[in-house]
Amino acid sequence: MATTTSEQVQTKRSFSSRISNEMFIVLLMFGVLVLLVVTAWIFVPGFAQVQTLVNLVTNNWYIVILGIGVTFLLITKNFDLSVGGVVALTGVLAVYFSQAANVSQNELANGLGFPYPVAVVLALLGAMSIGALNAFFVVRLKVPSIIVTLGTMMVARGIAQVITQGAQRNTSLPQVFGVIGNAAVPGTTVKYSVVIMIVLILVAFILERKTVTGRFTYYIGANSDAARLSGIKVNRHLALLFILSSLLAGITGLLLASEFKAGVSGRATGYEFDALVVSLLGGVSIAGGFGSVLGMLVGALILSTVQSAATGLLLSPDWQFTLKAVAVFLAILAQSYVLKRRKG
Amino acid sequence: MASTENVIEIRDLVKVFPGVRAVDDVSFDIKRNTVHCLVGENGAGKSTLIKILTGAYARTSGSTLLNGREYVPSDPRDARQQGVSTLYQELNVVDTLTVEDNLTLGLEDTTFGFIRKTDKINDMIRVMNSLEPSIHPKQKVSTLSVAQKQIVEIAKAAASESDVIIMDEPTAAITEGEIKRLFGIIQKLRDQNVTVIYISHRLDEIFAIGDYVTVLRDGKHIATKPLSEVDGRQELIRMMIGRTVFEGYTSKKRTVPEVVLQVRNLSNEKLQDISFDIHKGEIVGFYGLVGAGKTELARAIYGAESFKGEVLLNGQPYKSAPDKAIAAGLALVPEERRTQGLFTILTVRSNIPVMNMKDISRTGWINSARERDTALEYIDKLNIATDSPEKEAAKLSGGNQQKVVLSKCLFADADLLILDEPTRGVDVGAKSEIYNIIRQLSDEGKSIMICSSELPEIMNLCDTIHLLFDGSLKASMANGADVDSEEILHIVTGGE
Repeated sequence: MATTTSEQVQTKRSFSSRISNEMFIVLLMFGVLVLLVVTAWIFVPGFAQVQTLVNLVTNNWYIVILGIGVTFLLITKNFDLSVGGVVALTGVLAVYFSQAANVSQNELANGLGFPYPVAVVLALLGAMSIGALNAFFVVRLKVPSIIVTLGTMMVARGIAQVITQGAQRNTSLPQVFGVIGNAAVPGTTVKYSVVIMIVLILVAFILERKTVTGRFTYYIGANSDAARLSGIKVNRHLALLFILSSLLAGITGLLLASEFKAGVSGRATGYEFDALVVSLLGGVSIAGGFGSVLGMLVGALILSTVQSAATGLLLSPDWQFTLKAVAVFLAILAQSYVLKRRKG
Repeated sequence: MASTENVIEIRDLVKVFPGVRAVDDVSFDIKRNTVHCLVGENGAGKSTLIKILTGAYARTSGSTLLNGREYVPSDPRDARQQGVSTLYQELNVVDTLTVEDNLTLGLEDTTFGFIRKTDKINDMIRVMNSLEPSIHPKQKVSTLSVAQKQIVEIAKAAASESDVIIMDEPTAAITEGEIKRLFGIIQKLRDQNVTVIYISHRLDEIFAIGDYVTVLRDGKHIATKPLSEVDGRQELIRMMIGRTVFEGYTSKKRTVPEVVLQVRNLSNEKLQDISFDIHKGEIVGFYGLVGAGKTELARAIYGAESFKGEVLLNGQPYKSAPDKAIAAGLALVPEERRTQGLFTILTVRSNIPVMNMKDISRTGWINSARERDTALEYIDKLNIATDSPEKEAAKLSGGNQQKVVLSKCLFADADLLILDEPTRGVDVGAKSEIYNIIRQLSDEGKSIMICSSELPEIMNLCDTIHLLFDGSLKASMANGADVDSEEILHIVTGGE
């Protein structure tokens, strides 16, 4: 939000009281991030390279894209646990639609033989239909989103497993299928997936701060009854957000399927929780009406830093979960402590 | 101990809320084994007084004696242990448990964490049986009627050796036959050495069941006397409203007979066949007790509740939904400010434009400068006490929060503003400011519909007064010198 106050008091008040609580938390977590990076830079062997910093941004691109939808929904007090399943489903659908038809004895090598663009559009529609299902149960039938999306998480992954017979499809794919997920921006090692992430986060941030649609999200999260009585079409807005979240998960699924040239039914297991974790790390409140995708991005960077520092310290991957847990608890304790003090 | 004549003695009791003396130096006695009624208008201080007696509020000063001893309960549980139980309007029973479990809830005797069946339970069941033999102890509470649930609670209070049982509007949600049965039970309790403090808006009930009555008005004690010495409901009403002079109201000539809102035969679950008109620039008041249907009427017109019938705004029908109502030219200040009106965790700045985002945006893009200017404009116009438009709405006082909600509706630029309890929980200063804003709006040609359970508010502001009782429009009148507040109270308390 804008960093303005009435003129008379502006000069007298400290910087921290002139910005909104939201941007304050984002800055706080950014401070934590800088501190972590500096510490790792000094103490972790092999960390002190520019490439490491680049990797921090690029490593978790898929969590950031998923985090956008999850953050918006969290601001409205809703969960979306289905995103991991939708990533798997969309990847599998795109591969199945693109695979050449009737070319092999092996059932998993035969697809539907659609042209690539058609396969992409249909796969994304498949993703959005999971979002529509979420919206239907939450908005129409008033079932809590945490339950609905837990269900659709399994629906999406279940369909993916049926199509891949519990494994994956990775043959008879057209050449074009592997391009978008592997190509890098000419002259760099930055993949297009990362560029897409950056574009999406910018669009999401502008949407959140500058548009009426973005503002509605906050009104609904802050008080959905008041929002309805103020003339906001709460149901329609929530439905759109659920479909948007699934669409973003679908895009992630397409990019990952392209990168590996495979539709894997077990892809993205647990990503729904990572997306939730980075949102919470970034200061998004499950009480609703509070948070920003920018904070979520910072949260994702903190998670990357912790992960790559752990790798540098030669900790076995078994420690990853424990480290994430420690990072989450510390971050959330710090946030609630600082917010309380700030509110006095 | 039980020899004292008065079970409760209240001396110089004061409770101050910011800006209001809700209980103002009240002293009176409650005689042992009587039914003592407490009456007064909304805001007279009844509930505050009761909440002090039950330990829900801490007093500002003064003393209360129970059985001649100092009585300062720390919370409702402590009050119950000292012998003062309360039957609240919202019943405290757990629907999913059996009657027996509910009776013993919170009073269980345990040995190593296991519940022991003791004489206490049998005692309670016996008491309940004597009050109402039709309830079986093993029955699920969810299968009981509201009246039966009340009896379960009364039995619980009676069996835990309460000296005093406070009943807050116990008849609000039960039928005629059940009321009779409740009265029978109250008499039984009195015979069993229990004193009942009975609060009701329905004056006929007071005369039917009460031994003594205490009248409160504006936080002050007006009188305590035996009901046998009260000269009918008219005297009670006179004491309740006093000789309040409704200054402030000046009748105006309606030069524009143009009808803005037309309501014909509006009915739903709570409302029966309501018809009326609101004209341009007119302030129309709906007065009635809690539960008379004021809020339901406001919400139906606003499209927040379904109804049958016809509602036209400026001669045009509109779809029954808040967004359609706003588009047609309506705006609602809802009854519950914090849960329905305000976005408490958002800033004052972002609260104000919500009903009319079009005016601070172009093709969906928010114009931040215009948003801030709008906020500053309303902060100035309505004199909202905040050091910055970036302040969280939650941090403002009740009166200023209400002004934010009002700003929201004003910015919607509606032809008809519906204000449901516009000054509830608002201090006196902010109240008169809000009244001035309402009058000014009317002068500017806006129409205003006010739903209120405060008669002075209605008589102060409104050009036309409609009286609601039990979901029906009982009477309508033009405000003026000849309006009789006693007659009004007579009608809204169910008198013919």
